[in-house]
Parts: sequence; C-alpha cells; structure tokens
Amino acid sequence: MAETPESQAALSTSSSTPADKDGSKICILLNATGNVPIIKKRTWTVDPNKTVSWIQKFIHKFLKLDASEQIFLYVNQTFAPAPDQIIKNLYECHGTNGKLVLYYCKNQAWG
Amino acid sequence: MAHDREVLRMIWEGQIGICFQADRDEIVGIKPEPFYLMISRLSYLPLVTDKVRKYFSRYISAEHQDGAVWFDFNGTPLRLHYPIGVLYDLLHPEEDSTPWCLTIHFSKFPEDTLVKLNSKELLESHYMSCLKEADVLKHRGLVISAMQKKDHNQLWLGLVNDKFDQFWAVNRRLMEPYADQESFKNIPLRIYTDDDFTYSQKLISPISEGGQKKSLADLMAELSTPVRKAVGCRTHGIDLHEETQLQWMSEHLSYPDNFLHLSVDYKDA
Repeated sequence: MAETPESQAALSTSSSTPADKDGSKICILLNATGNVPIIKKRTWTVDPNKTVSWIQKFIHKFLKLDASEQIFLYVNQTFAPAPDQIIKNLYECHGTNGKLVLYYCKNQAWG
Repeated sequence: MAHDREVLRMIWEGQIGICFQADRDEIVGIKPEPFYLMISRLSYLPLVTDKVRKYFSRYISAEHQDGAVWFDFNGTPLRLHYPIGVLYDLLHPEEDSTPWCLTIHFSKFPEDTLVKLNSKELLESHYMSCLKEADVLKHRGLVISAMQKKDHNQLWLGLVNDKFDQFWAVNRRLMEPYADQESFKNIPLRIYTDDDFTYSQKLISPISEGGQKKSLADLMAELSTPVRKAVGCRTHGIDLHEETQLQWMSEHLSYPDNFLHLSVDYKDA
C-alpha cells in the first residue's frame, strides 16, 4: 500500500477509465491558487477511501511547508470539503470528465 | 418551495434528552451530579454545550480547564460537526432508554478519529461549506452565491439561537427550485448504512429518465445492488414511507446544512 498518490502513468484524454469500480483509484487534478508553490505534476490517482485531510497532509509534505502553514482545499473553486470527507464521495458528486478537480492554497480562498 | 410549514416546524422542534456525565479520571474531589439538557436534534454539540462545559469545569483539575472538549457515548467519540440528531440515530440507543447518556471530556482529544471542529467559528465555516456544496448540487451554486453575507449570517444565527422564522426566512430561498425549474438538479443527501459514521454521497436526481418525480422507493432501488437490497430508510428518528417524493423530502426533511441525512437498512438479496 503506497502512502503517497501514485503518478498517473500515460494519462491520455481518451482514457475513460471509470474510477471507483471495485475500489479502483480515482484521478484527481491538483491546482495551485494564490501564493502557494505549484506542484508540477497536476494529475494524481488516489485510493477512493482516502480523506481530504490525507490529501492536505500530502500536499503539505510534498511542498515541504512549515509546520505552522496550513493547506486549504476546495472542490471546483466552490466549497471546502470536511477534513474527514472521503475522495470517493466528492468524485461521485463533483467529478467531471473522469476527474475530481481540487484547488489548494495557503489562505482561505472561497470562504 | 416548502409548502408544508407544519412539517418544517415539527422537524425543527425535535429534541433529545441528554444526560451528561463527567470523565471520572478528570475529576478532582467530589463527583459531580450529571447534567441534564433537552437539545435540538438539528444543532451541533459545540453550539449547545456551553452550560455543560461551565458546570463540569468546576470539578476538574486546573490543567484541563482549557482543554478541547469532546464527548463520547459508550466509548465512541462523537463527531462535533455532525448534527446531533444524526449522531443519536446512528448510535440508536435502545428505544425509550432516554435520556441519552454522554460523557464529557476536557483532555486527550482523540485527534485520530475526530476532526477538531470544536469552536463556533470553525463550525460556522464548516456549516457554510455544507450549504455551498448542497447548493452546487441543487442549483449549480447559483442561489447561495447570489446571497449576501448578512443572509449567510442570518442562517447561522437562526440555527445557533434556535430561531425558526429567522432561519427559514433565508433558507426558503435555498429550498426552492431554481427559476423556472420544477425541482432541484440533484438531491443533496448523505447515506449512512451502519453506526461507524461513514456515509456515502451519490448524484441522485429527483426526476426519473422518463420525467417522473422519483419517490423514496426509486432511491432505494438505485441504492440496491444485486447482492444487497435497500429495505428501509429513516431520518430524524422517523421511518419514511416508500412513496414519499424525493423532492419533497429534500425540501422538508433536510437538516439545516441542506442535506438529507438518511439511515438506510440493507438486506442480503
């Protein structure tokens, strides 16, 4: 069991892998917003049962942020999901074109 | 729009009798008597327990006075950001065994299992996020984003201060189909299947492919799989009839966060 999101090998636009069938991974797209450092690789796949706080911790670690700094995560630039919300639920309701689009920043952005 | 105002009022007035007890390990000196309260099903523990905290803080050691408060029922920590009625229904204490006995803790906050949404400010921003997500599902987010900050405040304060009219004056706008639509785009709902607090969310339209209004029976059919059949559904401690329309349920039986929180029973097919 990998403890970091895995690189999406050969992600092609035509690939219509239905996420979350039999616990298969979900494709997420990470967008930086505000003055947060950018993660070059934007597309990752994660276990459907991972939580929002797990993704936040991953980004925090990946960017080597200070312990005092916080990562805020938003779905489609609209709302901040609860830290214990699972990626599967967000994907089911807010996924588009086989991806869940998430925005991350160091300050509260969309309320 | 929500027509059955009496239903809204009855849901709003649902209460649970709770008996709060101290954590024995935190008590110095005399053991305090339990503290009893009638609490709204729709509220959240951090919003209604100021008095409880004040009462017990006199009996605990100074080092724990400012600790992050949390609660448990029979050893299960209670999520501070779930409506109290949802917690109560999930842990389904034996019927008629009211009051519900909870233990209050001032130390050892279980950070692994509980999200630390323990202040009113944190809870408010969580609540607003729920409303936004629900509005994205119902109206593509168009209604909530057209509201002003004062409307958001009115919703929150209506909930915090238990003011039905104040809350519904604004919430009715969130509970109407958008513009010339007859129903919501999708129904915001969270489905709980057992007592471990995890829920699932799915995109559920209130209208069938044939253009008919869907009922709870249709929802249960959608939730069923070849191996597992949905056989019953409850919310606010009420068993729902299968013919209840989903759109009506969303307008009248949603919690103040604008989500339907449904406990669904399954049977192996």
